[in-house]
Amino acid sequence: MVADVKERQGFAGIVLPSLRGATGPLIGLIVLCLFLTFATDKFLSVRNFLNVLDQITVLGVMAVGMTLVILIGGIDLAVGSVMALAMMVLGYLNVVAGVPMGIAIPLALLVASLNGLIAGILITRFNVPAFIATLAMMSITRGLANMITDGQQIIGFPAWFNMMAIVRFGGFLTLTVAVMVVVFIVGLLYQRYRHGGRVLYAIGGNAEVARLAGINVQRATVLVYVVCSFLAGLSGMVLAARLDSVQPSSGVSYELDAIAAVVIGGTSLSGGTGGIGGTIIGVLIIGVLRNGLNLLSVSPFMQQVIIGAVIVLAVTAETYRKRK
Amino acid sequence: MKLSKLLLAATAASMLALPASAAEVKKIGLAVPNLQADFFNQIKLGVEKHAKEKGIEVVVVDAKNDTNTQVSQVQDLMTQDINAFIYIPAGAAAAAVPTRLAREAGIPVINVDRTPEGAPGDTFIAGESVQSAYEVCKYIIGKAGGSGKMAIIHGQKGTTPEVDRFTGCKKAIDENKGVELVDQQWSNMWSADEGFTIAQNMLQANPDITIIFGQADGLAMGAAKAVDVANLSDKVIIGGYDGDVSALEYLAKCKGPFIATATQSTQKMGVLAVESALAVAAGQKVEERQTPNAVLTTCENAPEFVKSHP
Repeated sequence: MVADVKERQGFAGIVLPSLRGATGPLIGLIVLCLFLTFATDKFLSVRNFLNVLDQITVLGVMAVGMTLVILIGGIDLAVGSVMALAMMVLGYLNVVAGVPMGIAIPLALLVASLNGLIAGILITRFNVPAFIATLAMMSITRGLANMITDGQQIIGFPAWFNMMAIVRFGGFLTLTVAVMVVVFIVGLLYQRYRHGGRVLYAIGGNAEVARLAGINVQRATVLVYVVCSFLAGLSGMVLAARLDSVQPSSGVSYELDAIAAVVIGGTSLSGGTGGIGGTIIGVLIIGVLRNGLNLLSVSPFMQQVIIGAVIVLAVTAETYRKRK
Repeated sequence: MKLSKLLLAATAASMLALPASAAEVKKIGLAVPNLQADFFNQIKLGVEKHAKEKGIEVVVVDAKNDTNTQVSQVQDLMTQDINAFIYIPAGAAAAAVPTRLAREAGIPVINVDRTPEGAPGDTFIAGESVQSAYEVCKYIIGKAGGSGKMAIIHGQKGTTPEVDRFTGCKKAIDENKGVELVDQQWSNMWSADEGFTIAQNMLQANPDITIIFGQADGLAMGAAKAVDVANLSDKVIIGGYDGDVSALEYLAKCKGPFIATATQSTQKMGVLAVESALAVAAGQKVEERQTPNAVLTTCENAPEFVKSHP
């Protein structure tokens, strides 16, 4: 009994502080869910909840990496393209070259990480602004992804690969959702309990002060871009499983979705405040909103307007609260 | 004896009829790749109009050309308990997953325009691009006097319409020895601004091009603008494809370098899709492949298509 209470405190001790600064978005998410529960009888069901989890996996994994980059005051516009490149590398290695998945997946993730390494080096050693460096990488990786098959899709993965995204183990978790949950938990723990996680806030607050305090800012910056690209690659693996195919045109403008999720979750674009807890809420808001609008049969054009309005609402509410 | 036989037949008939009434279609889900493209918008209008006449509700989702979004949207359609699913796959990769989802829910799947490899729906409704593209190219080559330098502006590389329309046009080119294919380029969105840029580059590289085939009307309209800008309007002849409303209006004026297109029976595709959904749900047999063919459209028959789109 006592252990039980302790455990619960431990859990709250991790989750609640991670949500600090994200109370606005959390309230928004709850209000949204309440509204949808009353607006349509299809929303509040286990099946629909699991659908939403399936639907946010790609964005969720990607947005965690984006949060780290934005925390240090950077930006990564290349994630959508890096995702497509990782998917095409996976498809080429596994389907065309016959490399087993156990080797093809790590290699695809390695290629994705390399992109982050290059972007990080451009930013730290050559003083290229992050916006420009990742914009260039976005174009390069998209081109490379297209070159692998001359723009064609690749199909023909082993059957179990698609099953990862479809079969719900214990009636609950697909493997792809499990991947996302693991990424969330590792991210939350690292950000809160590891020196490396605290360092990110210091760099985002003021990189020069962080440097003078003895933090190796350059190394940390490069690592953050590598991790962000790695997670973009991982989200590509998840998407490949979900679609049972890979195509070089995947992930166009996903970087903007990821940035939107991070910002809705209360992380400041100028860096230093926010965190992964808020981003999880941001991802859920986008996921629930898209799902709910579909369930309400809102016309596709109106959906675009509403999603834009929610972004504006979330961000202005947060800045207004802070000013007070 | 006779009576009992009759009774037996009657019960059998009523039993047969039962599943048909049980599978009444009240709600149709329509997954569209991209409503910004007039072609898909026309199909949507066709579906909505016909469904309204039949008293059926239609739920439309727009994937904005993203396969991942489309899979999510189809999941949401299934949650809404639709009775039939009209599926136009997004992107070059026609994903099989939405078809599998619908199969799991046990509802009819009607494919329009594109069909996923290895997971066919109950029927596939699409124009036959090869023959119609052949007719358009044959017409514009004929108007150019059967010879000259030609360029092709392709659609999104690797998509079925892109491949088929090229196959058809190539046949017309091969039949005319005097025609030389000097340049080919690919667009991503089948759009007018891409057609404009691509045609401008083509004319820069080969100023003596006299025939251009744009694989979509957007591309052809863009190319027409580029030709106007280059002051070559009286030397170049352009053909398009699809029969978009704006293109039909352009053709109806009988002025300018863009002179022919193939008008797809888009609204009819929508109507056919609804009809097929009803038939499959009622347990009737439907043709595996239905081809409402495109009609060669020039300045002569464009006005009537402007009035009512086929």
